[in-house]
Amino acid sequence: MNFFTIVIRGLTRRPVRTGLTLAGISIGIGAVVALVGMSNGYESSVSNQLDVIGIDVIVSNMEGGIMPKAFDASLQDDFAELPQVGKITSVLMQMLSVEDSPMMMVSGREWGGFTWDQLKVLEGRMPSGPDEKAVVMGRLAAEVLEKNVGDTVFIEIDEFEIVGIVDGQSVVENGAIILALERFQEVSGYEGRVNFIDIQVKPDLTEEEIEIMCDRIEELFPEGRAVRAGEVVGTSQGFQIAKAMSWSTSLLAIIVGVLGVMNTMLMTVFERTHEIGILLALGWKRRMIVLLVLFESALLGLLGGLVGVGLGAVALTVLELMPTVRGLLEPEMTPALLIRAVGIAVVVGVLSGLYPAWRSSRLTPRLALQA
Amino acid sequence: MTETDSPAAKTVYRAVDLKKEYDDGQVPALRGVNFSIGQGEFVSIIGQSGCGKSTLLNMLGALDRPSSGTLEFQGTSICELPDEAAYRAREIGFIFQSFHLLQTFTVLENVKIPMFGQPWSPKERDERALSLIEAVGLSHRLNHLPTKLSGGERQRAAIARSLVNRPGVLLADEPTGNLDSKNAVQILDLLCRLQEEYKTTMILVTHDLEVASHGSRIFRMKDGEIISDEQTGEERS
Repeated sequence: MNFFTIVIRGLTRRPVRTGLTLAGISIGIGAVVALVGMSNGYESSVSNQLDVIGIDVIVSNMEGGIMPKAFDASLQDDFAELPQVGKITSVLMQMLSVEDSPMMMVSGREWGGFTWDQLKVLEGRMPSGPDEKAVVMGRLAAEVLEKNVGDTVFIEIDEFEIVGIVDGQSVVENGAIILALERFQEVSGYEGRVNFIDIQVKPDLTEEEIEIMCDRIEELFPEGRAVRAGEVVGTSQGFQIAKAMSWSTSLLAIIVGVLGVMNTMLMTVFERTHEIGILLALGWKRRMIVLLVLFESALLGLLGGLVGVGLGAVALTVLELMPTVRGLLEPEMTPALLIRAVGIAVVVGVLSGLYPAWRSSRLTPRLALQA
Repeated sequence: MTETDSPAAKTVYRAVDLKKEYDDGQVPALRGVNFSIGQGEFVSIIGQSGCGKSTLLNMLGALDRPSSGTLEFQGTSICELPDEAAYRAREIGFIFQSFHLLQTFTVLENVKIPMFGQPWSPKERDERALSLIEAVGLSHRLNHLPTKLSGGERQRAAIARSLVNRPGVLLADEPTGNLDSKNAVQILDLLCRLQEEYKTTMILVTHDLEVASHGSRIFRMKDGEIISDEQTGEERS
């Protein structure tokens, strides 16, 4: 028997209460893992998409929410004249309810633009030109909608033929329906408007030269922003709101966990007043009693954290399979997130144990023995 | 107020005009007690319920503080001990009427509990606890929980626990109060034997004259005062 035997014995004496407290922390930590994993997944999915397509700078009006506001497509001609611009192309991207999928990315791309280049045809073919009323589907989108080459798909109220299934080499691309920009502008009512202008800069440009180009673009398009591909997600208002919401919800879950552990540890201290009195009478130092309570609450946190990480992993796996999420983002569960989640749980445990530990340290041996 | 001096050589406890009051002086529990107790003595404190004998024992064990007066342990005021916990752990052993064993721990674990935080190695803890459990005749109950023990067995476990840190003083508060007469006799015999064997100073509180008569001195208490200090001729050290 060592000190930890005493700690563990303290938790196992009331298995139901300990179990319920563990469940509370686990659900909180599970929520942290799931929500932050989703938010991180969205961030890396979008970054990966931009990386795969080879976009260096993206121009948009990020104040529109999840999807940026549409703007005049003719701005592309002004940007194209900048000396730093290598290739430039326009995109109109919207999240739409498509047939059985409540939310799917539909991407209208300027015909001939470099954003078509990385798409690999798995089945069928690419549209023959901008006038063909046809789409290609990312392989995940095809799976979600259960479509094959030759089928048709309704976008808004128009029916399009699916001429190909493509691998876009990123989750977002694979979860999208892709068609010519003009066709999508027609059906979505955004004629002459786009919400992204993607730029590949000329080779060997310095960071300063790219910054100069971005500044010039923002002069030409004051409502918009030109940002490096790697910074797109961070500057998106929609993403920032989503991230803030995921952390706020996590914080609420953590507060519930703190209150749960604190309640349990306070009950433990009250119930064990007599036992604490015995330990004090037998010569245990108050510091040891405090440590006993803190270790018990920290252990509750640690176990809750470990179970919570497992719950979070299950939740992310389930979310990944849901039609609303599938193809839009790939939930991300990194070792850093798991370690952080367990760390939060242990800190929650220790913080929750502070007040009960303080209460226990204030007990008078004589009165505690009479309890 | 009677002053009672120890006939023994080295003074372990010395009290001068020791008083204790509760509820802001409304309830006097000790009304100026004077005594000294020498090393190796077996002092019984006898008196009716409410006479202050348990209050006195609590103060000897540093579980409570005097309202006024002096109480010294080996020349140091109990109130000025540098480390009360260390005093309770190393210098004294407590035996309670209600045993006060930890219910979720086995006999062996209960006996080892006071050794945590003390400079014993795990091996020493095991050896010391096992030898004391054997000395009190509980080797066959080593891994039993207190709920599975009889009253006498529980008190034996508590006695083993009280001695585990080799204290110089044993403080026993009605150690036979919750036992039948047969177990009470056995426990008293055990206490006397161990007190002789380990050369400890024993201070035993009881309301039973027969139990008190096992001591070499008997303090009679009434209304918070020691009204007599008798030598019984039962020299044990």
